[in-house]
Amino acid sequence: MTALPVAWFLALSGALLAVGIFGLLTRRNFILILIAVEIAMNATILNFVYFAAFATSGTGLSGQAIAVVLIGFAATEVAVGLAIVLGLNRLKGSINVAQANELKE
Amino acid sequence: MNLEELAFLALAAVAVGTSVAALLVRELVHTILWVAVFFVDLSAIYFLLNAPFLGVLQLGVYAGAVTVLLLFGIMVTRKRIFSRDAATGIGPVPLALAAVTFIFLVASLGEFPQGTLTVQSYDPTALSGALFGNYGPWLLLLGLIMMSGVAGAIYLVREGRE
Amino acid sequence: MDFTSFVGPFVPEILLLGGTLLIFLLDVLGLRRNEWLSTVAVTAVVLALLSVLGDLGFGPLSVLATLSPGQIDTLPAFGSAPLYHFTSLGLVFQAIFLLSALLVTLASASRPSDEPGAPIFYGLLLLATLGMLLVAVASDLIFLLLAIEVVSIPSYLLVGYRRRETRSMEAAMKFFIIGALSTVLSFYGASLLFGAYGTTNLFLIQADASTVGFPVLVLLGYGFLVAGLAFKVTLVPFHAWAVDVYDGAPSDVSAFLAGGTKKIGLFAFFLVFLGPVLLVNTAAAGQSPFGGGAVDLGPTLSITLGVLAVVTMTVGNVLALLQKEMKRMLAYSSISQAGYMLIGITIGTAPALTGATLQIFAHVLMKGGAFLVVAGVGALGIGPLIDDWKGFGVRRPLTGAAFALMLLSLAGVPLTVGFVSKFILFSAAVQAEGWFIWLAVAGLLNSALSVFYYARVLKVMYFDRPGPLETAEGTAAAASAPALGAGGLGYGRAVAIGLAAVLIVGVGLYPQPVVGAIQMAAQHFVSAGV
Repeated sequence: MTALPVAWFLALSGALLAVGIFGLLTRRNFILILIAVEIAMNATILNFVYFAAFATSGTGLSGQAIAVVLIGFAATEVAVGLAIVLGLNRLKGSINVAQANELKE
Repeated sequence: MNLEELAFLALAAVAVGTSVAALLVRELVHTILWVAVFFVDLSAIYFLLNAPFLGVLQLGVYAGAVTVLLLFGIMVTRKRIFSRDAATGIGPVPLALAAVTFIFLVASLGEFPQGTLTVQSYDPTALSGALFGNYGPWLLLLGLIMMSGVAGAIYLVREGRE
Repeated sequence: MDFTSFVGPFVPEILLLGGTLLIFLLDVLGLRRNEWLSTVAVTAVVLALLSVLGDLGFGPLSVLATLSPGQIDTLPAFGSAPLYHFTSLGLVFQAIFLLSALLVTLASASRPSDEPGAPIFYGLLLLATLGMLLVAVASDLIFLLLAIEVVSIPSYLLVGYRRRETRSMEAAMKFFIIGALSTVLSFYGASLLFGAYGTTNLFLIQADASTVGFPVLVLLGYGFLVAGLAFKVTLVPFHAWAVDVYDGAPSDVSAFLAGGTKKIGLFAFFLVFLGPVLLVNTAAAGQSPFGGGAVDLGPTLSITLGVLAVVTMTVGNVLALLQKEMKRMLAYSSISQAGYMLIGITIGTAPALTGATLQIFAHVLMKGGAFLVVAGVGALGIGPLIDDWKGFGVRRPLTGAAFALMLLSLAGVPLTVGFVSKFILFSAAVQAEGWFIWLAVAGLLNSALSVFYYARVLKVMYFDRPGPLETAEGTAAAASAPALGAGGLGYGRAVAIGLAAVLIVGVGLYPQPVVGAIQMAAQHFVSAGV
């Protein structure tokens, strides 16, 4: 029988979310931004898994089901993001977000 | 402090450390290495939480597929960019936002049962039953998302006549 | 549960999925002519729209014909903790979403028949529409957020479907980054709510809402959800991306984003913030004169949403005043309109919901139509600046009149649908009393402010002397574009613009059928929850 303090997990996922959002907002390279998104997504998935593991009601299993679906979703998101990077890279030869400024006035 | 708690603390430290390292190192290829360690580490946490199926899925999809995808992305684009540009100014606003988020989350820690809780284990059979039973619509939606993602991604990267 | 009642309600979704698959099949077979593909897309959307309207009690084509309209809300759901649930308000929204898809597919029929990327455009458009329909029936947080992603992922790719144009691809990249941030925030909020309530089902969350033991966690969860959804709805301060994306995307796609996909976030607000708190508070809040119980969102959420609404209206309008380019002006105006719609959710009574829903319906016609006009006139040699439209109303009387009508309706001039919706919305705010009256005041002041920039465009269109008729590059563009019917717009686009204009005036003059249906649906929604 494994027994662990719940609060530790919330602290861990909060820290990972903070790292992810921080990276998303400060990095300029698109691949690093994608990685930051994945770190934050992993924090979310971790939330569902441990809430399911500590659930006292009968619906805990749904947390694991959500985690399965979210892992698949995150992989799709990465694929779409990379497709956009590659398309843009072919056009401009750069994946630096700061240089993508043709839209700014 | 028992063995599980020690294991969790070690894994958590590695998770935070590798995620920060991944975003801060200079060379993009090193980033991928750190991220791979991060994904494997989280998978270990899932095993600790008695969720072996998710642990395996995390290994296969994240540590395997996603890492390779990211590596490919870097390989294809690296002919022009070797490493990312020097870290551009970390604005105070994002930093503050991230910090506030974390502080709020820590504040909510006080609400939790302070002792330890037993980790429930779920039978993978029950999980698959739920996924294809009551929670089937989620999988259907995931299928739609993947279908549109794949169709659009193929179109964007396809070399072809216009 | 028998097969008909299980599959029957999903006929519109199945039609759209069938259309998508047929389009991808045609692509594989090499049949890529724009006319054929757009015919398939328009047919699928029209059939789905007729089916939804039938279910709502208009017209003969109903799978649920055995049910009277009010009974839609009592359709049996699947399982004990259902992931989806049919409501008549949901069906009204499905009709609105299909209308926006119809306008865009009709207009796209006017593109050149060898247009590159046509199959992926129509396929993704139908898939996004399918996702919008699914958002409208959600009764589970994860189902809702996944359905929103079924819309978002195709939208990123639609913005970048002109893959040879740097502007289009850059807009796609920006949209993707912001979309990913919004997704993560809303899923994280959902995970915290799952932790607090032990379920993601909105019904069960409703039942537990009064007895929850983790108030900070719940507040944080709702906070993350508000932030995540606010990106989708372009509320200030989560709005900065919208202008760049609407500006950089192909104009037809901008019409779909501003007119269609943005509204799913608003419906998600309806579901998440009206539903859960409703059952708990109905008893305490007493009966409103309109049948349903008044909704108390809880002071924190209510004030947050109200402040967001006012700030969004004001900032959107002020920035719209400063714009020199037509598309950017329309994009900022779109941001401010989101503020009006949020008023309805903040108040939460049945009349306010009616007003907000009608405003959403009107916005599909006004903003969607306006972007379609902008997309069409690009080929006529008119540049991106507002000043390029000098004398447009005189030289192109019909198109000019339709565009003027859309702007007048956006400003809320009487006899248009924009006036009716704002009238219902603001009078609901006054009836609700308390501090809600200030929302009506802010809304009225903002409407007055917005008249300035719409009137400026009208002045340019009708009273400014046209300079040299067309710019040199504009003329070149017009000459290289293939000759199209209907005065250069193409018949499909002309029909779409005409349909929007007719509906704007028609519903403005004779609002009863539309308003009546929405009113009934809103009352059911408020009295039944979710």
